[in-house]
Amino acid sequence: MNVLGELALWTALPVALWGAVLAFVAGARQRGDLQLSAERSIYAVFFLTVLASLGIIDAFLNDRFEYLYVASYSNRSLDTFYKVAGLWSGQRGSLLFWLLFLMLFSSIAVWSNRRQNREFMPYVVGVLASIASFFLIILLFADVNPYAKLGFTPADGQGLNPQLQNYWMTIHPPTLYLGFTAFTIPFAFAIAALLSGRLDSRWIALTRRWTLLSWFFLANGIVFGMRWAYEELGWGGWWFWDPVENASLLPWLSATALLHSIQIQENRGMLKVWNMSLVILTFLLTIFATFLTRSGLIESVHSFAQELRIAYIFLGFMSAIIGVGVVLILWRLPKLRSENQIESFLSREAAFLFNNLMLLAVLFAVWWGTMLPLFSEGFGGEKITVGPPFFNAVNIPFGLVLLALTGIGPVIAWRRASKQNLKKNFTLPVAVGVAVLAALWLAGARHGAALATFGIAAFVMTVIVVEFFKGTRARVRIEQERWPFAFLHLVARNRRRWGGYIVHAGVVIMFAGFAGNAFKAEIRQTLDPGETAEMPSPLGHSYTLTYEGLSTTLAGAAPVRNVRWQVEALLRVEKEGRPAGTLTTARRALIAQEDMPTTEVAMRSSFLEDLYVILSDVPDLRGALANDPNAQTVTFTFMVNPLVGWIWYGGMIIALGGLIGLWPDGVATRARTPVRAPARAGGPVLAGAD
Amino acid sequence: MPKNGRFLVGLVGVALVVSYLIWTGVSETMVYYLTPMELVTKVTADPTFHDVGVKVGGRVVPGSYEKRATGHSFVVHDVEDESVTFRVEYAGDLPDTFTDSPAMVVDAVVEGRFREDAVFEATTVLTKCGSRYEATPEGLAAG
Repeated sequence: MNVLGELALWTALPVALWGAVLAFVAGARQRGDLQLSAERSIYAVFFLTVLASLGIIDAFLNDRFEYLYVASYSNRSLDTFYKVAGLWSGQRGSLLFWLLFLMLFSSIAVWSNRRQNREFMPYVVGVLASIASFFLIILLFADVNPYAKLGFTPADGQGLNPQLQNYWMTIHPPTLYLGFTAFTIPFAFAIAALLSGRLDSRWIALTRRWTLLSWFFLANGIVFGMRWAYEELGWGGWWFWDPVENASLLPWLSATALLHSIQIQENRGMLKVWNMSLVILTFLLTIFATFLTRSGLIESVHSFAQELRIAYIFLGFMSAIIGVGVVLILWRLPKLRSENQIESFLSREAAFLFNNLMLLAVLFAVWWGTMLPLFSEGFGGEKITVGPPFFNAVNIPFGLVLLALTGIGPVIAWRRASKQNLKKNFTLPVAVGVAVLAALWLAGARHGAALATFGIAAFVMTVIVVEFFKGTRARVRIEQERWPFAFLHLVARNRRRWGGYIVHAGVVIMFAGFAGNAFKAEIRQTLDPGETAEMPSPLGHSYTLTYEGLSTTLAGAAPVRNVRWQVEALLRVEKEGRPAGTLTTARRALIAQEDMPTTEVAMRSSFLEDLYVILSDVPDLRGALANDPNAQTVTFTFMVNPLVGWIWYGGMIIALGGLIGLWPDGVATRARTPVRAPARAGGPVLAGAD
Repeated sequence: MPKNGRFLVGLVGVALVVSYLIWTGVSETMVYYLTPMELVTKVTADPTFHDVGVKVGGRVVPGSYEKRATGHSFVVHDVEDESVTFRVEYAGDLPDTFTDSPAMVVDAVVEGRFREDAVFEATTVLTKCGSRYEATPEGLAAG
């Protein structure tokens, strides 16, 4: 299986290159027979990539430590679950994994368009096969081949970093990769539109769902990563503005901008160059993110000499994308003229455009802050970094404007908003926003940015609720339906619109969760068994935590497999004097990774706040493990994180809204696209090419 | 065109505000990211650098960790030149990945102030795991 997999990887490169050449020739010469062959090469590369991936999984499952990649990320005692996940644990495997998803999506796109949209397909296939070739070249020639051998067979592998042995960390990277790779399809169609000259909004209609799919996976992937950081990293936060986190945020930001701005092109025939550029930018950022997350280019203490080759190949590829994109757009500029002009600042076009500007401003700020160490070292010689204070200072104002726009954009009129339109739609929401602000002020909250967030959030939420109410009421009156049915039918009838509103509601809730962070409380206390700590909550009540003592586990009798040792502290919790259960927080080390103990935090989550306890220090660990009664003194960090749960609820609501938008239209409601020239081998299939 | 022209002015205005925010943001929050070697050179050349907050990436010297009443203490050396070292003191919680075990190569990024007594007073300590989990053939042979 391993040999077969490696062979498949090598075979895939010529097949992909062949497919790319064939497809572009088919496009230029209008040769259907070549096109058919090129499309088959996409399926073939997909199949070969599946074989290559299975080979790696097989090597993990059978402890084939002669492979450097397996030896680096697995060991004999690793759970089977994490062995399978070994495919995406490190750089080498995840590049293959990336290619696997790319080929999956490519095959779906080619298959679903085998009888329609033929004017685009040669170029789509050409672009997809070129990107596949690029990743195959990286895998085979940039010292990242997952099948690279050590030359000897170690007795055991190094094992997987214990911090990565977490459920969220297993699904977080694949979700992001699904998001990154799904965006290749809109990019391929955009390039195909430029090459074929068919530049009406057809390519946008064809790829809107793909863009949404990519956006959906990116959003979920980012939230999963936040959740992992919150559970596993043990410092009570969920976002650190780390280069790797930032890299995954960038394409999400530009994809979000694109999802909004394509609506202007569809409705008003404007922003064609802008949309084309956003597609290219987003794709570029997915490649950039893939590169950054797996190269350690920014953060590494080393110079990046050892990664130089892969860095140059990636930079070359990214430059090629920019070059091709710019040249093609300039070439097609006459066909990308705007059909309309913006008439007023008070219009939906203007609101959407402003939303785009804000998203790109955030994108630029995050990108700049992330790359600054590299730029400053490259140009000035001295390495300069910026941390969370920079990102917060810049992004909080932009974020608040964006939040307000989620309430304004959907209900303000196209072209030019009248006074009545503004008054009718915004009087109540503004009143609610101001009321919430006033109520919080009276309750004693004084944090400016947080107050602004809550006020704007209340405004946007009211807009959304009123829209749902009006729409449902109209159906109740006209269709004589009961309220719940009217509501469901309303959403089902225009999933794109109402799904979008649901996403907005999720964003609002998530922002409120972010703002809650401004009120978090933290104390650090060293306790002996039987002693108690008082933890006041910013919401007014207080927790009493009694440290009951330690329990230890040594290898053999561990409740968690693989555990070498574990020290677990038990705490009894009382809320306002009433019993509220117990919490356990632990430090543990895994067999084979004794040098990397991890801290397992304890959480008591409720709707409004999380009580979060970290076992910060066990001063006499050896004594504690020997159950020495004099070695039971430990230090805890207690935190109350207000509204942190709303981030996860908001994430779920965003996912729900995204799913509603993605759900395929029923046959009855689908505006069927006329089937174009059916594909016949050898026939002229390229109706739109010029 | 006049309408689009007016709009263009708006765009330029937004772009200016964005640039201004980023510019001030960087200049108010930026931190020098140095190697131990660069830090020592800089401080020798300009003693006022003792008061500037800096970020330094070094490698933990195996066996140098000490627990003190005030917190943690360990020594880092320059990644390229092992003779350049200084002691780090830190009162917070060390990351789980921190260790001074000789079996491990641990890179630490410390942020804080390099005191005049040549001790680095850290406000944050991060450990970099990138290279640690990518095994080297030599490491595997030894293990």
